[in-house]
Amino acid sequence: MWNKLKAAVVKEAKLLFRDKMGMAILFLMPVLLILVMTLIQDATFKSINEKGIPVVLVNEDKDSLGLAIRKGLMDSELCTLSETIDGKPATKESAQKAVANGRFIIGVVIPKDATKAIRSNVEHIVNETVAMDGENTKEHEVDSFDITLFIDPVAKKSFVSSVTSSLHAFISETKTQIMFQSFSDQIGALLPEDGKIANTAYKKVDMINYKEIYGSEKIGSSVPNSVQHNVPAWTIFGMFFIVISVVNNVMKEKKEGSSFRLKTMPTSYILSMNGKIIVYVMVCFIQFLLMLLVGIFILPFLGLPPLDLGSSVFAVLFLALCTAFAATGFGVLIGTLASSEHQGAITGSLSILLLSAIGGILVPTYVMPEMMRHVSVISPLNWSLEGFYSLYLRNGGILEIIPNAIQLIVFFIVMMGISSIANRISGRV
Amino acid sequence: MTTQPIITIQNLSKQYKHADQLTLNNINFDILENEVFGLLGPNGAGKTTMISILCGVVQASTGKILIDGLDLNRNANAIKQLIGVVPQDIALYPTLTARENLNFYAAMYGVSPKVAKSKINEWLDKFGLLNAADKKVETYSGGMKRRVNLIASILHQPKILFLDEPTVGVDVQSRNVIIEHLKDLNQSGMTVIYTSHHMEEAEEFCSKIGIIDYGTILTIGSPKELISNCEGAKDLEDVFLSLTKRKLRD
Repeated sequence: MWNKLKAAVVKEAKLLFRDKMGMAILFLMPVLLILVMTLIQDATFKSINEKGIPVVLVNEDKDSLGLAIRKGLMDSELCTLSETIDGKPATKESAQKAVANGRFIIGVVIPKDATKAIRSNVEHIVNETVAMDGENTKEHEVDSFDITLFIDPVAKKSFVSSVTSSLHAFISETKTQIMFQSFSDQIGALLPEDGKIANTAYKKVDMINYKEIYGSEKIGSSVPNSVQHNVPAWTIFGMFFIVISVVNNVMKEKKEGSSFRLKTMPTSYILSMNGKIIVYVMVCFIQFLLMLLVGIFILPFLGLPPLDLGSSVFAVLFLALCTAFAATGFGVLIGTLASSEHQGAITGSLSILLLSAIGGILVPTYVMPEMMRHVSVISPLNWSLEGFYSLYLRNGGILEIIPNAIQLIVFFIVMMGISSIANRISGRV
Repeated sequence: MTTQPIITIQNLSKQYKHADQLTLNNINFDILENEVFGLLGPNGAGKTTMISILCGVVQASTGKILIDGLDLNRNANAIKQLIGVVPQDIALYPTLTARENLNFYAAMYGVSPKVAKSKINEWLDKFGLLNAADKKVETYSGGMKRRVNLIASILHQPKILFLDEPTVGVDVQSRNVIIEHLKDLNQSGMTVIYTSHHMEEAEEFCSKIGIIDYGTILTIGSPKELISNCEGAKDLEDVFLSLTKRKLRD
């Protein structure tokens, strides 16, 4: 049996390594894929979370609110703020035009006397509150104003939400500050001369702080970034594309008649397939290592952080091996079931795309509709991805990925089982 | 020559799924040990189906087949060790050399690497391919491919050799070499079951011939018997045309 297996492995390796174009595709395409997709997705990641949304500000207020919003937007890493257009101070009209032309994603217009309106409203509220009885208060007409936002239709809703929530925060802070000042003025008037409240007291009050702590018991030194998210996703996608090569190999064997001859021989289908499995799992594993090296050594040259493998390299390699088995087994099944090379190639590539989409490779599962989130757990790419996230982002070890590894190996066994049955049934035509 | 049957076919029928008619219809005959049995018939007569069933690739719909006393349904693996099959199409890996192809197939038959090495050299030499042994099969002529196709099926010295049109599309020289070596193999005790469209070749080579058409065996006998039993026939081709008529087949 060992001689048969050895012969099958040697044959498969020779067939594969003599196909120069196939080899180039097998090793270069995943590397290109990881480079391009990580760079593209990093740009999206940055546009939301780091710098760069071009915003134009028209500050007609020039008072507390206008200045607070201006300072807030300038200090924010969210956007690049501009107050001029073509060297001239931005006006409401020019800002609208510039946003319409796509020069800015968002335009913010703070109207004249906006602070004055807040102040007038707040003072009235304070007067009403500190009045001993309700008799001295007069009916007050609320001074309202609009902060106008011009939005480029191409802007994602998440960009707009980020800017508007920042604006809400600035307005709320300004309102609170004015209110605090009015209260302290009113209360101060009731106190003896040396008992006055310092009007800077508000700024010293820092009652609520935010702490960001990642939800993992074993958080490592690595801070989650686009590389940690994208490299595993596109690595798995690249690895599963081995399906196309496996399908091609199985179909060629059928077409060239070797498959027929093998059926006449005292050799089991599983044994002859094991030759393919061993070679293609090795190729898939080498692909993985290449993509890993790109993540660690090449991406930093392109201005991205290097891939951090977490605390268990062994677990990373083990999970990669399980993923390689799952991908190769899937290829064997498609190749066995397909009746032509064309059909096999189309079925193989479409099924990978489908399983990738379902599995959270193309779009994270947490942004999917609830039903699709439930469906995502049927994709082997999702099992693998969750495993790599455990290792790269949650700093997990071998124990954390055992369930994912078992799922992938069971998937491989099931694929081989179905292939074997399908092969047997094909004799009962 | 012994009269012991090495293959017994009883009530064999085959109907492919979605086919209107039976491809093989209640076939009954024996093939004796050490015979060269020629299965002749027009295109679509059922020859390839018959060979595919006998070598365990396609399952019969009904009937019983005994090969060397073993029931094919129950002992397919043991029977596959006894037989060699030369498929109608070239069943080789084009990007491997002849030697690499033969090494692989010898291993799949369970031949040890040491024995395989000497057998491969021996047969490559006999078939005039030793000098081209390390060239890729895709660079071979049609005749050379046919010869390697045959060698791949005899490396384990099978008791029975099935050949599905082994000389189709080859030049006269290659055909002669193939037929001569098949005769040698038969003389060394191998039973040969062979399909062909070459009537002259079959007449010269086969000890017994069965003519099949529309899935039914029309006649079985030695070439001489068939010719003498057919009125006005001068050779096997006359017998064949007399039984299968001149209507064109798809």
